[in-house]
Order: sequence, then C-alpha cells, then structure tokens
Amino acid sequence: MLVARYTLRAHRAAFLLGAGEESDDVVQEAFVKAFRHLSRFRAGEPFAPWLLRIVANETRNLTRSRRRRTALALRLSAAEPAATAADGPADEVLAAERRTQLVAAVNALPDRERRVLVCRYFLDLSEAETAQVLEWPVGSVKSRTFRALNRLRGLLVAGQQGGVSRG
Amino acid sequence: MADQAGWQRAVEAELRELGRGLDVPPAGSPTAAVRQRLQGPAARRLHPARRGTGILRRWRPAWRAALIVVAVLLTLLVATPQGRAVVAHVLRFAGIELQQEPGPAPSPRSGAALPGERRMSLAEARRHVSFPILVPTALGRPSEVVVSDGGRVASLIYRRTPHGLVRMDEFAGHLDPVFFQKFIHLGDVTQVRVNGLKGLWIKGPHVLLYVTRDGTPAAASARLTTGNTLIWGTPRVALRLEGNLSRTAALAIADSAR
Repeated sequence: MLVARYTLRAHRAAFLLGAGEESDDVVQEAFVKAFRHLSRFRAGEPFAPWLLRIVANETRNLTRSRRRRTALALRLSAAEPAATAADGPADEVLAAERRTQLVAAVNALPDRERRVLVCRYFLDLSEAETAQVLEWPVGSVKSRTFRALNRLRGLLVAGQQGGVSRG
Repeated sequence: MADQAGWQRAVEAELRELGRGLDVPPAGSPTAAVRQRLQGPAARRLHPARRGTGILRRWRPAWRAALIVVAVLLTLLVATPQGRAVVAHVLRFAGIELQQEPGPAPSPRSGAALPGERRMSLAEARRHVSFPILVPTALGRPSEVVVSDGGRVASLIYRRTPHGLVRMDEFAGHLDPVFFQKFIHLGDVTQVRVNGLKGLWIKGPHVLLYVTRDGTPAAASARLTTGNTLIWGTPRVALRLEGNLSRTAALAIADSAR
C-alpha cells in the first residue's frame, strides 16, 4: 500500500539520478531502510523527500561502487509525444532536435550539477526539498542550480554554433 | 542581466518539459520483497493460526513489521495533504480499522454493548482470554472487568477517576485483523508514542463498531465514544483507552499499563 504508492516516484528518482537498471534494487533497499529507520522520521514532516533522500544515497553508493557514471546517460523516450508548441512537421523536427541537444547538454554536466537539475526540474522538487534529498545546504542548491543552468547555456550555445539554428 | 534572467526562466521551463519526455523504464513492484525482508524468516507462515502463546512468540517480528508498515502509512496519511486526499481507503492499526466516513448511526439504546458481555473478576478474566490483560497502575483496580464475545475482548471500566468514566478495551489485535471499526475524521488523528511504541491519538467522539470473529460488524454495538481515544499495541495485546482525558493524561495512563 504505502510501498505501492511511493514506488513510482522513488523509482523515477533512482533511475534519473543514475541507478540505471538497478533502480528496482535501489528502491527496494530504500524502502527497507526507510522502515527500519522510521524512528528518525518526524511525524508531520513530508514523507516523499525523506524517502527520496534515502533513494539518492543508495543510488550514490551504487554509482560510486560501480564507477559507471558514464553508462547512465539520460535518454529521451522513444514514444515521446510531439512538443506542445509544434505547429508543423518542421517545428516538430526543430523541437525534437532542441530536446536532444538539451539532454546531451544535461548529460555533459558535472555530476553535482546534473543531480541538482534532476531534482529541481525532472523530479519537480523545491529548493528546500532538493536540499533535503541531496543533503546539501539550501545555499548550495541555489548556487549549483545557477551554475548548472549557466553551463547548460554555454553548452547549448556551443551546440548552436555547431550548425543547429533555433528561432 | 535581464536577458540572463529571461533565459534562465525559459530553460527552466524547457527542462521541466524535457523531464516528462525522458525515458524511464517501468518500475517493478517491490512490495512483496520489502515485506519479506522486514519480516525476516520468522514470517514464513502459511495460515493465520488462531491462538496460543507459542504462536504469539513466533509471530512477533511479523506483527512488529506489520505495525511499522501501518504506522508509516498513518504518518503519511495524517501528515501529508496528498495523503489526506487518498484516504478513501481503510486503515488498520492494532486490530482497529479506521475509516474516514460518517459510519452507521449509533445504536439508539444507551449502553450499546459488545456481544456476550460477562462481568467477572480480573483474575477470572485473565483465565478467560488468551492475551495478557494489562492494568494501568495510574488508575489502579478497575471498578468492573467485562469479557466479551467468548474471551475475544476484555474491558476494564473505571467509574470514578479524576477524569470521570474511563474505559480500556484489550484484545489480541495482532491475531485477528479487525476487532473494532472507527469512523473518524483524519484531521482528528495524530501519531503518538506509548512506551516507545507507536500509537494513535484520536481527538473527539466518533462512532465505534465492534467487528465479530467472522468479520461481521455487530450493528447493536455501534456507539458514539466519549471524550478522546488512544489506541496502541504491544507485541502481545492491542489496547484502546477512552474517556474525557487530555492527551497527556491518556499517555500517562497508557505508559503505566503493566
């Protein structure tokens, strides 16, 4: 019941933070730890960030031990629907290219910057929740997000100068 | 710099949309594995057995794990707004089923009773039930001890306490799934700790219904509770304490149950 309710979110977090095909194992481990350490959970506190912090830690242990950071690049879903803004086939192609670039740029970011973007934008966590999940001070979440977005901009501009136009 | 802020907002929006289009494989279902790991080898059982201290002892880890799972669920339901929205479902805690709905009309007869109520001495009651009867030393000797439904529930009634009438129902909440149904409003439920174990504090009166061994609610038992209620479980017995008690008073009484 509880496990079922939070599985999807936990699994998505594990996968996007880099657990890859071991995401299910990470989620299982995280739930077991969450239940065993329940006494550290304060009633009234939201449960999701608390659980996701365990998920993020487990994922980090996994990726560290495997040294397989490069193998866990994010990918666009093949079945991704056409972009909402697309008016015609040409726009769709452009939008798809843009998304591909963006994913590549996110994948190219340093580990910490990518993790903060995953939490903030792909998992839709607030700055405070991200701070809790990644166990960083809120100030670091802010500064690393800022740095990540700037670096992303640099990467995208470089990509555009490489020949891809964008209106 | 204004351009910088504009660009940042645009890319933030773009990232959020990108997030929805990322490839995430379907999640497995960890529920069974998690439960098994929490319960350990002691949980490997085929059928729920009926009674007996030997079984009780072997069951403890399973019972504890089940309590923990329920307690987390309750924490969530009580603590999070999305939790509150999902509570159409039924919660079970220490042999008590909590439902967030109006519930049946209380029995018109005052003094709605549990089935087969029998008054007896505490010593007699202890011979009639399969679980240990805990007595709160804070209240002393009960004015009345009632065993109901062939030894399934023992109730200690205190007529004269500084808080007025106080009632404590005890039952083997970890053996049979449901003894009572409570129709509550989740906003009135908070999680508390009783002797280091999880408990629930339910503020205000609510409809209480006894559920028989075969799972049928006993309509004649429906009544409106008085005051506030505390429910909790030890590894061998589940308890509910009811009366015009403050939370502190209830917790002090519960803590003194031996």
